[in-house]
Amino acid sequence: MVFAHWKKLGLALLVTSSLTQAAWAASDVLVLSRAEDAPTADPGVEISNSGYTFIYAAYEHLVAYKGATTEVVPELAESWTVDDTNTVWTFKLAQGHKFDDGTPVDAAAVKFSFDRAMKLKAGPSDAFPVLKEVQVVDPGTVKFILSSQFAPFLSTMAVSGAAIINPKVMEHEKDGDMAKAWLAEHTAGSGAYKITSWERNQSVVLDRNEHYSGPTPALKQIVVRTVGEISARRLQLVNGDADIIEQVPVDQAAALKSDASIVVESNPSLYVNYVYMNNKRPPLDDPRVRQAISYAVDYKGIVDGIMQGQAEQMRGAVPDGMWGHDPQGFQYSYDVEKAKALLKEAGKSDIHLTYTFSQADTAWEPVGLALQANLADIGIKLDLQAVADTTKREMAASGNYDLAPGAWTPDFADPYMFMNYWFDPDRMGGPGNRAFYNNPKVADLVREAASIIDQPKREQLYLEAQKLSTQDAPYLYLMQKNDIFARRAVVKGYVYNPMLIQVYNFATMSKSE
Amino acid sequence: MTIMRIIIPRLVMLFFVVFGVAVITFIISHLIPGDPARMIAGDRASAETLMSVRRDLGLDRPVWDQFTIYVSNLLHGDLGTSLRTRRSVAGDIATFLPATMELGAISLILAIVIGIPLGVASAIYKDGPIDQVARTISVCGISMPVFWFALVLVLLFYAKLHILPGSGRIDMGIALPTRVTGFFLIDSLLEGRMDAFWSSVRHLILPSFVLAFANLGVITRQIRASMLDVLEEDYIRTARASGLRRRVIIFNHALRNALIPSITLLGLALGDLLYGAVLTETVFAWPGMGTYVVTSIQTLDFPAIMGFTVVASIGYVLINLVVDIAYMFADPQIREIG
Repeated sequence: MVFAHWKKLGLALLVTSSLTQAAWAASDVLVLSRAEDAPTADPGVEISNSGYTFIYAAYEHLVAYKGATTEVVPELAESWTVDDTNTVWTFKLAQGHKFDDGTPVDAAAVKFSFDRAMKLKAGPSDAFPVLKEVQVVDPGTVKFILSSQFAPFLSTMAVSGAAIINPKVMEHEKDGDMAKAWLAEHTAGSGAYKITSWERNQSVVLDRNEHYSGPTPALKQIVVRTVGEISARRLQLVNGDADIIEQVPVDQAAALKSDASIVVESNPSLYVNYVYMNNKRPPLDDPRVRQAISYAVDYKGIVDGIMQGQAEQMRGAVPDGMWGHDPQGFQYSYDVEKAKALLKEAGKSDIHLTYTFSQADTAWEPVGLALQANLADIGIKLDLQAVADTTKREMAASGNYDLAPGAWTPDFADPYMFMNYWFDPDRMGGPGNRAFYNNPKVADLVREAASIIDQPKREQLYLEAQKLSTQDAPYLYLMQKNDIFARRAVVKGYVYNPMLIQVYNFATMSKSE
Repeated sequence: MTIMRIIIPRLVMLFFVVFGVAVITFIISHLIPGDPARMIAGDRASAETLMSVRRDLGLDRPVWDQFTIYVSNLLHGDLGTSLRTRRSVAGDIATFLPATMELGAISLILAIVIGIPLGVASAIYKDGPIDQVARTISVCGISMPVFWFALVLVLLFYAKLHILPGSGRIDMGIALPTRVTGFFLIDSLLEGRMDAFWSSVRHLILPSFVLAFANLGVITRQIRASMLDVLEEDYIRTARASGLRRRVIIFNHALRNALIPSITLLGLALGDLLYGAVLTETVFAWPGMGTYVVTSIQTLDFPAIMGFTVVASIGYVLINLVVDIAYMFADPQIREIG
């Protein structure tokens, strides 16, 4: 019986190999599964959070966000001073930090990193709008010269693009690309880990940086796998083949909660969902119409129904958890009568609007349906127009829409990221003021707040600007979402920082079986 | 010489098809509203940064210039650089295509090896229990959504029974075989790495079965129908009357003729494999072309989209060519007329 023989052999193979697979998930290796491969890990070009995961693991910055807060503390810099004009910042570098090849981090490396970012002029350079020059004073001291005062400067020193890169990467330069091709899939930093292999659309492996100045991390290796389907990621987590899974929809999160070996991390984030209202287009150019729409929305229904409670209604432009947020600020509530009265006062009837959305955020379509129903109650007919995401962005940037949902998350921990982007008429369209809102008083307030350093004074200006802008209702303030991912309970030591979405403190995390 | 008479015009046609496809994809990708520079620089990039990114990518040039540059690069075998991954598109395709081809090849073999005997048995034992089973399988294969079927198999074999892996091409603890062909099965054997070979085999089982299943249904049904037709033919009756053994009649006479219409079907099945691969690759996290193309489309990565389309169109023309040549060998009549 040849066949029976083969069958036995086949079964034996299946059994033995499945045993060897299960034995692999070692306690010093952390496996993270996510939906898509990061485009690059180059601090000079990368603007996606999936890329930040690697950049923050492999590079250090002059300053870092402290624990779970948005406050900045020294990292590579030991201390810093600013001159009287608030335009010259001098940083003293801490001793003992080394790149992954053993070279000490010095002022020349800091200068190199910023010069490179400014020369590449890709997305990350936008965080340093007034940076004129970086000067090496001595190997342990570096000076930043700004062309004008810029209050959020210190905060911008903690963004991904401000990562300090080993100047030796220039050995990998090809055709004047400043080592862009090489750094896309390799790292050259002084962080706790370094990338050792990158198999496109499969996995990225990070190993410990032997020269890291901090305590030796408990996790020897981090493996980041690309698994497109959420149900496949979920099975991996349940089976113990993955320790952390990302991009967990709210309904799946609810299902995972019943498993005792799994922890669903749901933390208030600074990620907001709002709706741009085209302030240039009639009838939305009338603030009363925008206010009426703001009163017509059932916010609680959206938060509880669509987000299953994993969000809270926004209160003003600056989200809860960032300084400049106004806990007493005015918040529109669901009030159909008031909405109808406002429309009547504006003398508008038979309003017909379009809501232009894409599938980039899973909440946008149900939100559109909810708005459609809510606005119908006050006599506004809302059509839903689904387009590709790139098309939606383009339409919003060029003002070719009535209503369009948007998502916003800050790059650095400063209300500037919301106030100056959303309300400054100089940033109309793509750059941030997507409602094409123009109130000179608000514009003056946010510009002044950005140009001075005194934080209490800035806060006061931003609160005032929020009060005025909320009255004008340029945007529909929907919700501030929770950041949701799931991890196995054995993963310990994770600290959530609202500034660092999809970024993990691998160096201080561990696994206890 | 007849073969050359088929091949040469096809190669000329290949050139025009690829050129046509390149032109059409170029036009479409530039007509779609959306700015790839914005995707790369970030939505809130300043106008200055946007301009710098556009310049960097050559998107600031007139469309006509972009097109001539694209075509001239294409003629040199250069598919450009992916806007998203900053790597050469040709390199990306070289990375991902073998994974898709390996999956496709194994599924096609599975579909043929199971589908043909099943179709033959189904025709011979028409209306019997074997036929009923075969017909049920083929209806399921044709009508079952690939995505759903894949998830069910993952749930059963990976999540519940723990006997097969649910994602990827190889176990994580195993080093990848040194790249020669890009087919893990072949490369690991070349290197004599049995651990990598068995791991790849195990990873191939579920996705290739899912992908094979849809085509299996079509093939079984087709073979059954043409076998039934052929078995009614006069020459079979003659053969039977002349006392030839049943096995000889079925395999030497009937099956050979029944296979001819199936050749076209196999060509079509190959096309279906590419389409089915997008879904299968997503569920099984298979690092192939499917995933690459979908992400490229989502980010308006023009060079990647165009590179894929060009390669796919070459693939289609070549498949058709192979089908035609196979026809010639299967049916001597065509060879003689040709």
